[in-house]
Amino acid sequence: MTTEMTDEELSPDRRRFLGALIGLISSGITTVLGVTIGRYTIAPALSNTNVGEWTDVGLLEEIPEGKPVKRNVVVSQDSGWGRFNSQRLVWVIRKGEQVTVFSAACPHLGCTINETSNGFICPCHGSAWSADGERLGGPTPRGMDMLDHRVEGDLLKVKYQYFKQGVAEKEEAG
Amino acid sequence: MSVTTPRRNKIYVWLDERAGIGRLIGGALDEPIRGGARWAYVFGSALVFLFSLQVVTGIFLAMYYVPSSDHAHASVAYIQKAVSGGALLRGLHYYGASAMIMIIVAHISQTFLYGAYKGKRELVWIVGGALLLIVLGFAFTGYLLPWDQDAYFGTKVGTSIAGEIPLVGPLQQRIMLGGSEITSLTLSRFFMVHVFLLPLSLAILVVVHIYLFRKAGPAGPFHSKADHRVERFYPRQLLKDFVFVLVVFIVLIALAHFIPARLGPQADPTSDFLARPAWYFLPLFELLKYFPGKLSLIPTVVLPAVLFGVIFLLPFFDRRGERHPLRRPVASAALVFTLTGAIGLIVLSKYQDRANPEYSAKLKQQDEEAIAFMKSPFQPQEIGRSIPTAPPTVVSNPLEAGSTPQKIFFANCANCHGTSAEGGTLGPSLVNLERRRKLTADFLANWIAGHGREPSADSMPRFRQLTEGEREELAEWLLKVDKPLAQPETNPQPGRDGEAPAAFVASCAFCHGDRGEGNIGPSLAGITSKPNRGPEELLRMLSNSRAFGLKDPMPESFPDLSDKDKQAIVEWLSRLKSQ
Repeated sequence: MTTEMTDEELSPDRRRFLGALIGLISSGITTVLGVTIGRYTIAPALSNTNVGEWTDVGLLEEIPEGKPVKRNVVVSQDSGWGRFNSQRLVWVIRKGEQVTVFSAACPHLGCTINETSNGFICPCHGSAWSADGERLGGPTPRGMDMLDHRVEGDLLKVKYQYFKQGVAEKEEAG
Repeated sequence: MSVTTPRRNKIYVWLDERAGIGRLIGGALDEPIRGGARWAYVFGSALVFLFSLQVVTGIFLAMYYVPSSDHAHASVAYIQKAVSGGALLRGLHYYGASAMIMIIVAHISQTFLYGAYKGKRELVWIVGGALLLIVLGFAFTGYLLPWDQDAYFGTKVGTSIAGEIPLVGPLQQRIMLGGSEITSLTLSRFFMVHVFLLPLSLAILVVVHIYLFRKAGPAGPFHSKADHRVERFYPRQLLKDFVFVLVVFIVLIALAHFIPARLGPQADPTSDFLARPAWYFLPLFELLKYFPGKLSLIPTVVLPAVLFGVIFLLPFFDRRGERHPLRRPVASAALVFTLTGAIGLIVLSKYQDRANPEYSAKLKQQDEEAIAFMKSPFQPQEIGRSIPTAPPTVVSNPLEAGSTPQKIFFANCANCHGTSAEGGTLGPSLVNLERRRKLTADFLANWIAGHGREPSADSMPRFRQLTEGEREELAEWLLKVDKPLAQPETNPQPGRDGEAPAAFVASCAFCHGDRGEGNIGPSLAGITSKPNRGPEELLRMLSNSRAFGLKDPMPESFPDLSDKDKQAIVEWLSRLKSQ
């Protein structure tokens, strides 16, 4: 800046007014963007991802009598742009016409429940259940989680669900 | 003392004593502008705003976007159609890109017209030219990411042009594509360049550009050296900048809301899509029409090289101090000529497309397809349906061995669904389909042909090489399969007629099996007795499989095979009778 130039000064009131306008515009733009981005980020976080369809376990005649068998079932989960079909484990026990299906996810922290000679055990933290899924001991807060099932013709179907972990009452995780 | 007088509250004083924010804010806001605030100076700030907007919207688009050719389109469709606020964010990013190009042209034109690159401002100007190149790079790499028809074919043309440059072209094209074709690898590298490399480069150069500009000082008005008024950047110039930014932002929001950013159907490399570049590349596209053959290098290489050569060298050969546009008639005329030429070429290109009945009909049809896709509700992509379910344990086979459908099964289906049909590496069990899935023969025959299925990497191939009769027979037979199939006594090894030629082993066996028995590609046993698959036709097919309706993953041609190789293969195939 050379010396012969003159600096133009505005009155303090006018400066403050123009400054407020600038602040108004920038906060307006920020708000519109912020609200949009907030909705965009939260949107899928609040929706239920479990499609909750009935899924095939297998033919009833393929389930052996008395002995618990492990079965893979295909579970659909909506996750954004895709519907992901992945496998989950269930335990199936058939006693004559009576069928029981348990989720193999431990109600404690979600490890996979294994079979023992006279019941079930979770290898992660040592929870144990009877052959009927009753809680015997260990850190698990409740018995094994029973799943709804139905028999269509000779086909066994199950409604796979997720349950809240670490609580005494079985409650669907939503 | 600083001209700005921020309230000297305790927090401010505390921060100022430690971080010196007073000097920083003062330095930023108290920049002297000779001649006072003007609307002509708003473009630079608008570009900083637009870049920030692209960064913010881009970061959040990346939250759902998947840079893989299998899922890119589905993830963009999800953002556009399903996520609340997604259409708006994508629209801001989409139109923001165009706005950036328009305003950068305005910024450069204003600087050029005002002669503001003169007087020790060479570096500001040159860095500005580099920024223009980076912005064009953003536009080019971002165009592919949605992986729709526009994206795929636009990028195909763009990268082919890059491949035509003498000497370095072919290698450059391969490096751009990550291979010889546009594949998922191309998408990955375009994504990396668009999302990491270019933003970082642009951010650094913007800082350098602004630093150099502040160092040199604004050039001020061109008309009078006697204008000794000086005004600070804050508040009047900054307010002008913000008003312009607000107008730009409102226009972008309105565009994103009322004309949602276009997303066409997923890229289909086999379609006859009529590719048209984004509007900012239309001038070059239009010029290409007038320079056929080798001359096409003039618009694609020579002209851009001259343009950027002029931009980068301008401050060195135009060393006169004169800044008034009317007293620099050559420079001003060149600018007007370039701008009107570019706009004229865009208009001409649009006009020609409209005037040509064939093109206009095709483009209209493509527009309608895109609109129909935009309007259709979002469908999540089905992932992993092919997981095999638990196989049944009974093993016996009541079916008569060696029936036609069973042979078709072993040749085509068994690779994925297992030779016992109990489910294999890729396909689920087919045992007891009728009881388990309540399928009808019609549905199954249709499914085998792949009607109405969008092919993805996960989905079952379309078995169109089977005749309709074969598909129906196979479907009826499959529904009767209620026990796992007995293993065939000998795996179908049709090649009892001499060893496969080495060329076959090298080029065909990976998909069609070592002895043509079929693997991920169909069995070739008895192929020469099928319609359109005689020896002569097979020879031609090996040079252009697309002409026979064959699609990926069958290669279009086999340039590595000599004519003699091809003859040996076809001769061997014609002896390869099915058992």
